[in-house]
Amino acid sequence: MRYAVGLVNVGLGTIYFSYGLMTIVDLKRGWRTNGLSHFGLAWIAMAFTCGPHHLDHGLSVLAGEVPGGPLDLAAVLVGAPAGVTWFLLRIEALGGGRGDRFVSGTPTWLRAVAWMSGLYVIVLGAAVIVTLEHSPAFTPRFTPNILLLGLYCLIGYYLLRTQLANRPVTGGWSVSGLALTIIFPTCGAMHALYATYAAAGRYPVTWHCLLIDWMAVPAAIYFVWVVRNLSLGTMTDWNLGAQGARLHLA
Amino acid sequence: MRIAAGARIVLAVVLGAVGSFVPGLRGRSDAFYLLVELVYLPYVTALFFASARPGNKLVLVGGPFGDLSLLFALQVLVAGAGGAALVGYLVVVTFAVFTVGRRTAAVFAAQAIVLTLVAQLLVPESRRLSALDLLPYSVAVLALLFMIDRSATRQAAFEAQAARLRSRADTILAHVADAVLVMDDAGTVLQCNEAVVRVFGQPQADVVERPCASVLALHNGERILDCSKGCALLALGHADGALDVEVWRTASDGRRQPLLASVSQVAGEDGSVQTIHSVRDLTRIKQAEEAKNLFLATASHELKTPLTVIQGFADTLVQYPELDEPTKAAALRAIRTRCGELARIVDRLLMSSRIEAGRIQLTIRAFDLVPLLRERVTAMAAATGRQVAFEADADAHLVEANPEALVTVVDHLLDNALKYSPDGDPVTVSVHAAGGEVVAVDVADRGIGMDPEQVAHCFDKFWQAESSDVRRFGGTGIGLYIVRSLVEGMNGAVQVRSQKGSGSVFTVELGLRREREAEPGVGEQTSIREFMRHIGVAPGRRP
Repeated sequence: MRYAVGLVNVGLGTIYFSYGLMTIVDLKRGWRTNGLSHFGLAWIAMAFTCGPHHLDHGLSVLAGEVPGGPLDLAAVLVGAPAGVTWFLLRIEALGGGRGDRFVSGTPTWLRAVAWMSGLYVIVLGAAVIVTLEHSPAFTPRFTPNILLLGLYCLIGYYLLRTQLANRPVTGGWSVSGLALTIIFPTCGAMHALYATYAAAGRYPVTWHCLLIDWMAVPAAIYFVWVVRNLSLGTMTDWNLGAQGARLHLA
Repeated sequence: MRIAAGARIVLAVVLGAVGSFVPGLRGRSDAFYLLVELVYLPYVTALFFASARPGNKLVLVGGPFGDLSLLFALQVLVAGAGGAALVGYLVVVTFAVFTVGRRTAAVFAAQAIVLTLVAQLLVPESRRLSALDLLPYSVAVLALLFMIDRSATRQAAFEAQAARLRSRADTILAHVADAVLVMDDAGTVLQCNEAVVRVFGQPQADVVERPCASVLALHNGERILDCSKGCALLALGHADGALDVEVWRTASDGRRQPLLASVSQVAGEDGSVQTIHSVRDLTRIKQAEEAKNLFLATASHELKTPLTVIQGFADTLVQYPELDEPTKAAALRAIRTRCGELARIVDRLLMSSRIEAGRIQLTIRAFDLVPLLRERVTAMAAATGRQVAFEADADAHLVEANPEALVTVVDHLLDNALKYSPDGDPVTVSVHAAGGEVVAVDVADRGIGMDPEQVAHCFDKFWQAESSDVRRFGGTGIGLYIVRSLVEGMNGAVQVRSQKGSGSVFTVELGLRREREAEPGVGEQTSIREFMRHIGVAPGRRP
């Protein structure tokens, strides 16, 4: 269990670092033509706080400082397919490929994913209640994880809203968009379980992990702020770098 | 407002982090830090997001309200923080005066006093402040509020008025299209606006503190204005009895620049007399007048030629009803042909007018260029009886363009090529990949060609190579203007290579179809754009 939890967290941390590096490359490529991207910066800030969190946690578990829990492993494994899918698609895009796949209609497996997500939330909730049954100690040391749960769910909400709005227009689903929609709430769930284990006294809260989590909070707030401003049209970013196909002669 | 909201987030994160790291916090202190992290931080974050809308009153009022509530919690929950909380109340109320105004700040001051008193009831007796502590504090809050308000209100009123006046004057001067120069009584430029750069082609810094006569060097008729005995423009205006005087100067590129100058005098700050020149560039107006005259002459001539033929045949048909059927049919065909010419001329004029008005909308889509070009070449060769060759380096070239606009472009270029090849020399249309993501279409003729000066202006509206061309070759002079406008509307480019007497090659470059964007639901290349697309902020999509 310990090695499994440690290794999947190290793997996830490495993937986040790779996301961050890929985005730096993208930002550098587009800087001259499109200018600074707040969105790119925010995503880099996210990647370079989530990555260290998972690396730190994974290495702490492997080193025996923190015992790995089954819920911890389950949370990472649940998010892994979506994370790996998005990661592979981004690698494909970085190499000049399509970077996405299109799913026509709503196939049965996709409906099943939606039901399974609901089931997962229920099971998770039950597991948290059971874990915290015996005298949990709730202190300010766990709150960054709670805040991150809320912020990641908010990002997930923005993503889900867009996928649902796009569905009638495109007649299907973007695999890349679906993967991203799943990633954020599952990340939130990982933080919730971390806080649960810490509250139950199973995970010691190390100063380094606490520091990383507190850095992740403003990074996530910045990210949500950028997304919200872009949604409201009060911020100009790379979304306005390209014009649509219809044009007007002046 | 946004800075204050951002500062509150930083404060909350720092306080929260401190609360997490400080060991040994228990009981009420823990509760305070939990309040900071789980209530105050989300609350100020929401305020920060709401501050995206300028002037949001809820944010203005909600900020100090949250701050006072936090200070109340500090006072009640953290031992030994009572004094810090009192200072905090003062700071919050002080800032509130500037952000929400006197009345609302007075409400906050009252709230601070009430909260302080309530806190005394909630804390253990050992931590309560005495009446001697509280009374000066309350007086200090009110006095501070009063003093700050008075000075702040006065200062803000004066500053606002001064800023308004300054801004108004600056804005008016900056946005005046005419160059405005202020001279002292010796004719030295004291001040000028930004339009000087546009009208005279000189930076403001090069104009200020120089003699007006050398900067402007104005001419009236063929005589340069002599300012050695005072402002010549002022004298000219008085002499003519007019406010505005038409003058000219030699522009930096050597051309004669027509100007409309007006002059007036005002009293300077030191009592001296200052002269103000306002100078308007008339180049465009003069050019527009010339273009209008040229257009009227050209259009009249072009319309008159087919009309004369139509009228001639129509008169013949009316006067000689006994003509045989083949002759009548030939006359009617001639009338129909000339009507077609008239329709084409009118179409061009209308299209030019629509382009000018920005009313042409092109929908870009992917299509194969080769069959379209082959069809237009065949049609033009059949219609004119001239030899038009077609060459393609591939069976298909998928481009992103508008097919209808491209037909117009190719027809115009072919029409031009045939018209300016009066000896019946063949015309060639070729299509080939031009490197990168570009396809080039060449329309080449071996006609009269153009010299470099003519090449430089051939895409201008109403331009023709020579005035005599109107009669030699016909045309309204707007064909190539339409070509350039349509090609640029399809995100393409058009160029010409030409040599006098050897013919011309017009090259239209169009973008290749990009596979990735043509498919629905397929992502963009960068992680940043891909993510933005899924969050609903990609181009043209707002959730």
